[in-house]
Amino acid sequence: MKYEIVMGLEVHVELSTQSKLFCGCSAKFGADANDNVCPACAGMPGMPAVTNQKAVDLGIDAAIVTNSQITRTMTFDKKNYFYPDLPTSYQITQWFAPICRNGWVEIETERGKKKITLKQIHIEEDAGKMVHDARSGTSMLDFNRTSVPLIEIVSNPDFRDAEEVIDYLEKLRALLSFAGVSDCKMQEGSMRCDVNISVRPAGSEKLGVRTEMKNMNSLKAITAAIAFEANRHIDAIETGSEVLIQETRGWDDDKGITFSMREKEDATDYRYFPNPELMPIVISDEWIERVRSSLPETSQDKFVRMTQTLGLPEYDSSIITRSKALADIFDQTMAHFDKPKEVVNWIIVELLGIAKGDNKGEDDIRIDCRKFADLIRLVDEKAINRNVGKKLLIKVLEEDVDPENYVKEHGLGMLTDTSLIDKAVSEVLAENPKSVAEFKEGKLKVVGFLMGQIMKKMGGKADPEAVKSILQSQLDQL
Amino acid sequence: MERFVRSESAGKKDAVALEQCIMEKGKPATSGSKMLNNFTAPFDAEVVSRLNATDTSIAGRVEMREFAVGGSFFDTQFGSPAIEALLAGDAGFALCSDVFGEIRSKAPMAGLAYIHPTYGSVSRYGLIPLAASMDQIGVLCKGLEAGFQLLSKIAGSDLKDGAMLSEKEYEYTKINRRLRIGIPTKIVALASEADQTAIKSFCANFETENIDLTHFEIAKQVMTILAFAEASNNISRYDGIKFGYRANEYKNLEELYVRSRSEGFGLPAKLAAIMGTYVLSRDQYESYYEKAMKVRRLIKNSFEFDKYDLIVLPLSISDDAYENLSLYALSPLAGLPSVSFQYEGQGIQLIANSKDENALITAWEVAQA
Amino acid sequence: MLEISKYESLTKLNLTEIERTQIEKIANKLIVSFEDLREIDTKNVEPLVSVLVLQNVLREDINVKSISREELLSNAPEQYGGYFQVPKTLD
Repeated sequence: MKYEIVMGLEVHVELSTQSKLFCGCSAKFGADANDNVCPACAGMPGMPAVTNQKAVDLGIDAAIVTNSQITRTMTFDKKNYFYPDLPTSYQITQWFAPICRNGWVEIETERGKKKITLKQIHIEEDAGKMVHDARSGTSMLDFNRTSVPLIEIVSNPDFRDAEEVIDYLEKLRALLSFAGVSDCKMQEGSMRCDVNISVRPAGSEKLGVRTEMKNMNSLKAITAAIAFEANRHIDAIETGSEVLIQETRGWDDDKGITFSMREKEDATDYRYFPNPELMPIVISDEWIERVRSSLPETSQDKFVRMTQTLGLPEYDSSIITRSKALADIFDQTMAHFDKPKEVVNWIIVELLGIAKGDNKGEDDIRIDCRKFADLIRLVDEKAINRNVGKKLLIKVLEEDVDPENYVKEHGLGMLTDTSLIDKAVSEVLAENPKSVAEFKEGKLKVVGFLMGQIMKKMGGKADPEAVKSILQSQLDQL
Repeated sequence: MERFVRSESAGKKDAVALEQCIMEKGKPATSGSKMLNNFTAPFDAEVVSRLNATDTSIAGRVEMREFAVGGSFFDTQFGSPAIEALLAGDAGFALCSDVFGEIRSKAPMAGLAYIHPTYGSVSRYGLIPLAASMDQIGVLCKGLEAGFQLLSKIAGSDLKDGAMLSEKEYEYTKINRRLRIGIPTKIVALASEADQTAIKSFCANFETENIDLTHFEIAKQVMTILAFAEASNNISRYDGIKFGYRANEYKNLEELYVRSRSEGFGLPAKLAAIMGTYVLSRDQYESYYEKAMKVRRLIKNSFEFDKYDLIVLPLSISDDAYENLSLYALSPLAGLPSVSFQYEGQGIQLIANSKDENALITAWEVAQA
Repeated sequence: MLEISKYESLTKLNLTEIERTQIEKIANKLIVSFEDLREIDTKNVEPLVSVLVLQNVLREDINVKSISREELLSNAPEQYGGYFQVPKTLD
């Protein structure tokens, strides 16, 4: 029998604010445990909550880029449950009047374009972090993330396979990171995705038993978890090997399986009620316009600009515009060196190559774009050759050296003096009679070997084109 | 628990005692609960900062019923440590939080007065909450004139509290206005004869208007539902994990929660937790919590301050404390300022329009003359 | 009538028999009195969440350093290495 998978997503994204949602603590990632915590976000009584305006601005941003209908009077509510990572034992969220509803995001898979519709986006506070200490058998609590502002983007059950899910997440990440809403880093937890999944016989209208999966911290994990869970559902339907129940399941990345976390919670009653100390927030046309007019270029707009105005290939442009970090590097480098094709090549071939070798994500590349631009110019102006440029790039990334100074100090400037090259070519040909003989027999492959020998002799600094042409003419004269 | 924890300034005539729900940096702030016996306030309440800034002495800390959950529900006699401190001469004033009317009901009989200010005029920063939509620090005093002087030192907007009126400061003074007093005759008729006589005598100083306070009887239910619901939420943070009482023995997290809360809370907190959770539960929300919020609007709208400046009320209309709760529920539910004081040996309560504390002072002064 | 054990579990309380009796008595009286709410017509009445008629009370997105971690943890029943400590949660 054929089956259809039906999925809906709940995506949590941490907003890029300086301070937390309801107190002035820093929202920055990576501080020492409990360093960004005040009495309020540690759950102590007596500090009234006051809403961070920037979080509302960013929520409006998110509403705009997801084509959502903004709620003109939004409110905050309290959701009650006990858990150690929730110090107040309630989460401030938006239950009755979320910031927006009824949005959509267009995705594109091999089967074409499709609109994923959104039920709503609401603003809420994050929980803290609990670390388990195996040695002492205790749990350790760090409230640095407590009350950091989040938006939760709730989709309708519009997804039919993992490819759609992944494309949607990439699309969301591009939309939100380009808008400055969030840096959307799955590994740091600033973008998290829960997948609600059910399976039904193809053609059936009735939805199957739904489970919710949590704890997937990469796109790869999400794909694997969907495959595992869909198979588990199908097995259960076909063989009756287990009875599916509505529940929350965790993803074990090491074992590649989902496991039951808790039964889904018709039993839990969160007792939502309006927070009486947070006044309603009325979002006027003017407010929306102010936010809209200060929105940075979207990834889609940037793609159009790169392909149409700058004449860059679609493939290259799509790589640059899928990541806010790369797009920023592109723009900032272009500000110092205005040759788009060169800049794009250096980013895609060299910068991404190095990052991949170091197992770094695109978002983790840190480079001084002025220095990067200087380096590209040096190569473009033939002041250094490309190989020297590549080595220099590593120095710029690792030691933040200034390319021009470094080239001067280390004498890496390109050697273009033809008499020197001519001499080196003659010497190499004299030292390699075997290769010369092979060339005469028609083995053109040896040219590459000879080139390498000449470049080596000249400390890697010669102009490769000059070397090539002089070598060619000397070989022709043999 | 000590009913009065003395500071150096205890005994000074104008020194201010603070209820245990008002935080002073470095001092225990118990809010009357064993749960917070070992909790040390990490900062000063805004009202404390303002007292310090005006060189007002702090007499010490007075005990209170657990989290200020009102006495109307319990048989046990708790008295009022704040009132005791003033009577003993330990303090000239006390700052309290009195949602349920426990102090408002008792102060006049002890010859004292209580000012419950307009909601949003005094910062709640550093006040351990019971019910944020009604919590308001008020002044227990020997005379209203001095009481309002103290209130003017602590009132005024504070950006750290998002539920405040915008007025930066308040000057409370007698005004030259002919005051009209609304007399809810049906309610007054339920008071003792002595109370009725006192009210009549008080009102003889003013123009009067007989009025009907619609939704008066239901105020006690609305107050109980809303205050318990908010309280159940506010005290859920006390779980033995971050601060406050933690049980000595527990095998796992669930036991830590249950034992810490069961041992740390007294009956008032437990009642508020259970009842508040009940009225907020999914099945009851609409008929209780939401309904109570709607009726609260009707109560707020039932005041007609275009017809009168003040409403006079007795302090008791029944032997059943719960029935009397409606008398004290009106001003917190509607956010209106009120005073209770002794007049001709009997307790009287006046309620004025929002931010019209001056009508309260004026009425009191006129009646004294 | 109030099914008190359900609310004990939601509120993480384990009442003694005496407390249960006391609370039941008060609660049942209150619940009977709540019946009066039904008689009040609230059609077209909006719930009142706060008596203040304010909107858009917002603060600027700036960091305010509060108390130190040492002060914060000084109230903790158990702490270790800058963390609040609790028994293991997954049993």
